[in-house]
Amino acid sequence: MRIGSYQLRLEKRLTLTGWQAAIISTLAIIFALVLFSFIFILADINPLVAYRETFSYAFANPRGLPLTINRFIFLLLCTSAFIIPFRAGLWNIGMTGQLYAGALSAFAVLLAFGGKMLPPPDLSPITLIPLMLIAAALGGAVLGAMAGFLKGKFNVNEIVVTMMLNSITFWLVAYMIKEGGPFMNPGGRGESFELPSSAYAPLIMDIPFTIFLALGLVMLLYYMFAKTKIGYQIKAYGHSPAAARYAGINTFMIPLLVFILGGAVAGLAGYHYFAAVPGVYKIARNYGYFGDLAFYGIICGLISLGNSFAAIPVALLFGGLSIGGRFVQGKLNMGFGVDYALLGVLMITLVAFQFFYRYKLVLSVEGKGQRRRD
Amino acid sequence: MRARLPKEGASACIVNARKRDMEKGLLEGIKHGETVLEARGITKRFPGVVANDHIDFELRAGEIHAVLGENGAGKTTLMNILFGLWQPDEGEIYIGGKRVAFRSPLDAIDLGIGMVHQTRKLVSAHTAIENIILGHPKAGRILNLKRAEEEVKELCERYGFKIDLRAKVWQLSEGEKQAVEILKALYRGARILILDEPTSVLTPPETKKLLASIEAMARDKLAIIPFITHKLPIVLAISDRVTVLRHGKVAACLETGCVTEKSLAEKMVGREVIFRIERTKVEKGKPILQVENLSARNDKGFLALNGVSFSICEGEIFGIAGISGNGQHELAEVLAGLRKAEGGRVIFDGKDITHSSILERWQMGIGYIPCERVEVGSIGDFSLVENTAMNFYFDDHFCRRGIMDYRKIRGLTEEIVSEYGVVAPSPDTKARNLSGGNLQRLILARVLSRKPRLLIANLPTQGLDVGATEFVQNKLVEEKKAKAAILLISEDLEEILSLSDWVAPIYEGEFMDIVPGEKAKRETVGAMMAGLRPTPTEYPIPNTQYLDT
Repeated sequence: MRIGSYQLRLEKRLTLTGWQAAIISTLAIIFALVLFSFIFILADINPLVAYRETFSYAFANPRGLPLTINRFIFLLLCTSAFIIPFRAGLWNIGMTGQLYAGALSAFAVLLAFGGKMLPPPDLSPITLIPLMLIAAALGGAVLGAMAGFLKGKFNVNEIVVTMMLNSITFWLVAYMIKEGGPFMNPGGRGESFELPSSAYAPLIMDIPFTIFLALGLVMLLYYMFAKTKIGYQIKAYGHSPAAARYAGINTFMIPLLVFILGGAVAGLAGYHYFAAVPGVYKIARNYGYFGDLAFYGIICGLISLGNSFAAIPVALLFGGLSIGGRFVQGKLNMGFGVDYALLGVLMITLVAFQFFYRYKLVLSVEGKGQRRRD
Repeated sequence: MRARLPKEGASACIVNARKRDMEKGLLEGIKHGETVLEARGITKRFPGVVANDHIDFELRAGEIHAVLGENGAGKTTLMNILFGLWQPDEGEIYIGGKRVAFRSPLDAIDLGIGMVHQTRKLVSAHTAIENIILGHPKAGRILNLKRAEEEVKELCERYGFKIDLRAKVWQLSEGEKQAVEILKALYRGARILILDEPTSVLTPPETKKLLASIEAMARDKLAIIPFITHKLPIVLAISDRVTVLRHGKVAACLETGCVTEKSLAEKMVGREVIFRIERTKVEKGKPILQVENLSARNDKGFLALNGVSFSICEGEIFGIAGISGNGQHELAEVLAGLRKAEGGRVIFDGKDITHSSILERWQMGIGYIPCERVEVGSIGDFSLVENTAMNFYFDDHFCRRGIMDYRKIRGLTEEIVSEYGVVAPSPDTKARNLSGGNLQRLILARVLSRKPRLLIANLPTQGLDVGATEFVQNKLVEEKKAKAAILLISEDLEEILSLSDWVAPIYEGEFMDIVPGEKAKRETVGAMMAGLRPTPTEYPIPNTQYLDT
């Protein structure tokens, strides 16, 4: 393209630094917000007002901020659950199923201790909560292991397996919590029994302790992929299974391991939403909503290019916008689904902007040197 | 050209105008020997390297102009620029005397340039003719396959291509697929044809046919640029002129009539080249590898290796000569642990390792240099440091309690990069950005720094240029002197004969014979590679004697 004496053309990028990727992503977010403002304008709403409401509710409102943070923890765990297999070149589409499995397992611990009975038995949180956490991780890990085993042993496509397991666990939850199910709420409201207050996850400044779990995992993953032997093996397998095999890496263990780890993290996400968020403490009737939300873990993982630290701001943004979008929809009397639409536009723009991860715009002046941008 | 200038830009307009001229056939009117394409001062920089440094290149109608150079000399970059895949940082391109600027290969194609890449770019489920008209502007919305077929048939006859145009591409041989690509370019109206290493995947008879077709095309005033890395005899046989590139610069542009193979090689490498390495005698030690009656299946499940037995001692090179697909690849993979043995035993240093894992074999001192450098031997998205780690991540020296010591691995990488002359901007460069020869140096360096007691080298010099080949061969001889046992698999008979202490021609999964290196003759080994059983030998076959112990 030519504008005056300037010429603009595309060129292939050979390298991409983390900072360049961050700048491109930021531009993409701005672009998406500009794009979405047309929807607000169509609804006769000043986009600036709408965005101010969205962001102030999500990040500066005493009611909105805790919601955002809880959702952020959930998304970050889901993102980590996606990233671990992703670094091995495998796609975990099964965070939904794994988080249900984690939630069911955590609640099963209570059942085993008679927690469904009223009044709740006196249980020591010091033993109960770690047990619930371990159970949640194990539940997710077992579900993940199925996909990992089939991939490693028989090279069955992991996407298909994890997707199908999602459906299976979805209906398993339905069976467990609805009429007659072992986890049924005594009131029969189509949701699970509530946790006794002694099993509530401890709060630190009104934030569930799971935030430390999620952030700790991010650091652990970063360290694992940067420094450890197992991280190296996973990365090698992810780039080229044939080359990894040649280097003596066990091509059965790696898929199994990454899916066990990914599943365990997704199981913790299930624990977080159904057993640690204040005001929930049960497998709610709209459990499917959180299952769908888990898919944003894939998007966050892809946008952050498998870098767990980069996933923090991305998960925070997605968490905040989903909360703020829903709020604005109600406050400004807009139609249903503003939050979904906003996330959708953001997602598509971010993916489209990944084009600039591979290409750059080169601006050159006729007859003179060249200046590069992005 | 009309006076109206569209607002969106002047250069686009010029190119479009020229496009119209070309469609009328500007290059058609050109006479034999006139310049059709000229590149002046082409410069292309990539981070850390200047791939093309002020290259001048000229092409005349009716000539076959070979471009020669080592891996990484800048041939591919130059051709990609001439084909519009990349834009040069500096320099100008003239076609038929007019300056042009390609924004994409489409511009180049419209101006009459066609390129046949080294890797095939065809739709394998479609027929040959469907592939040829794919993307052709004349194909229109409703395909007139019949007319197209007649036109392409005419091209086939004129240039001596014999292919069934109705056959699906997956049914064709490599040579036929290449012919389809050439026809596609010609049918698109190419007058300048760029062929990237056209003979690299062809069998000798296919090569002969291709060369005949190339000459027929050149007589038709087409200008052809084949570029070839290392097959000097082919350059001498077909080209009229040859441009030699070295380190991104033009080292020479010569009439083929007044050069020899040796002088070309020297221009390419920049120093004197020894074509044949003398076999060095090394005091041989105890047997390291003993193979008994080994068989294995190939990927399709057929028995590809059928009961071979041999042994290799310390300080010996055991050469397996054969045309690819005769079981030598499966043999190498079984020995490296990458493939299961169907029957038989493998004994390494007195221990039965038939069922040992790949990792165990690395640790006990078996080194494998795979023939698939890009797919198996290296990881393109990994840096050189991480690639080096492929053979060291399991060593306690480089990895303590599960934590990798990247500082030490980096140190090792820097060492081997300088010792083996790997040309790379830094140890953090991705392996993908290395040329074939440099990549092979890196793999060789990495495997040899493990000081293997048994080295399995599968096609170690395939596709390498003269300089890199010489380097690899010298390294093998050095390893031999260091008392390693070496299994060398090669399709290059000269290489096998000049390096090996034992020569085993392989045919359909069986050794035809095992001949001592100094007694092996080119003719007899060549015949055995083609499946001819040897006459009863006048010498005993001593190489199986260890099997009794």
